[in-house]
Amino acid sequence: MSTETLTESDLDISQLIDKPWVTIVWDDPVNLMSYVTYVFIKIFGFTQERAHELMMQVHVEGRAVVASGTREEMERNVQLLHEHGLWATLQRDDKI
Amino acid sequence: MSTFARDGEHFSLELTVDEAHVLINLVEQLLELLGEGDFNHHYDDGDPFAQIMMQMKAAPDEVVVPDDPVLLRLLPNAYSDPEAAADFRRYTEPTLRGKKKRALEQVRLALETIVDQNRAGIVRDVDSQTWLLAINDLRIALSVRLEVTPESFDVFEALDDEDPQKGIYAVYFWLGWLQESLLTLLNNG
Repeated sequence: MSTETLTESDLDISQLIDKPWVTIVWDDPVNLMSYVTYVFIKIFGFTQERAHELMMQVHVEGRAVVASGTREEMERNVQLLHEHGLWATLQRDDKI
Repeated sequence: MSTFARDGEHFSLELTVDEAHVLINLVEQLLELLGEGDFNHHYDDGDPFAQIMMQMKAAPDEVVVPDDPVLLRLLPNAYSDPEAAADFRRYTEPTLRGKKKRALEQVRLALETIVDQNRAGIVRDVDSQTWLLAINDLRIALSVRLEVTPESFDVFEALDDEDPQKGIYAVYFWLGWLQESLLTLLNNG
């Protein structure tokens, strides 16, 4: 066994543990643009400008990361977004 | 066409009797699809909405991924990984389903007076957030059955007036217009 305290695989593991989780909102042809913007402000407290920007990203690119943090926080976000009828998922941000 | 109105923090909705009937029928059908059948419904079985809404019935006892595409869209998977999605669903879906049912049930009760008196009326003390969520869920449910795409408005306009889907599309777009009117009032508070 190596006497070195820091190995490449150690680094990978710590990186993986520290990786935050992200909440993703996906585009759908139903939710009104004004509604999606409204829900982003209501749930996340975004400014009108930021909420509009993220809504447009969802609309144009098909999805947008709207939040990052712990898995528990992202699960709570997804639950709230589902309550509002938005199509949302969570995942580690290394998959993006 | 009817619309929401706002006076300070008070919201109201004036409806024709036909609009109230259409709304309560949809609300009741979605409640039943979500597994809430404990009320006397106002629609008859020949109702065109009942026919498209009730393609699937009977919720399973266990919390599993719904077969019905409307339920899958209203109660979606939170993870792409099936195992993580199933775990999350087991813990959270009953709460999510319950919140959607409660919003629809509140709307149903508010509409019942107008429908039972069978004349136009005003729904007072509208809880704006409850109605916003309920109308959105109704739009989603209809959109799944109609397989709505960004081109659907053109499809709707091209439909023959005799086509049974024409009226359903009309209600779908009316609900969007109604929701937009509520959002405008909320944003101009």
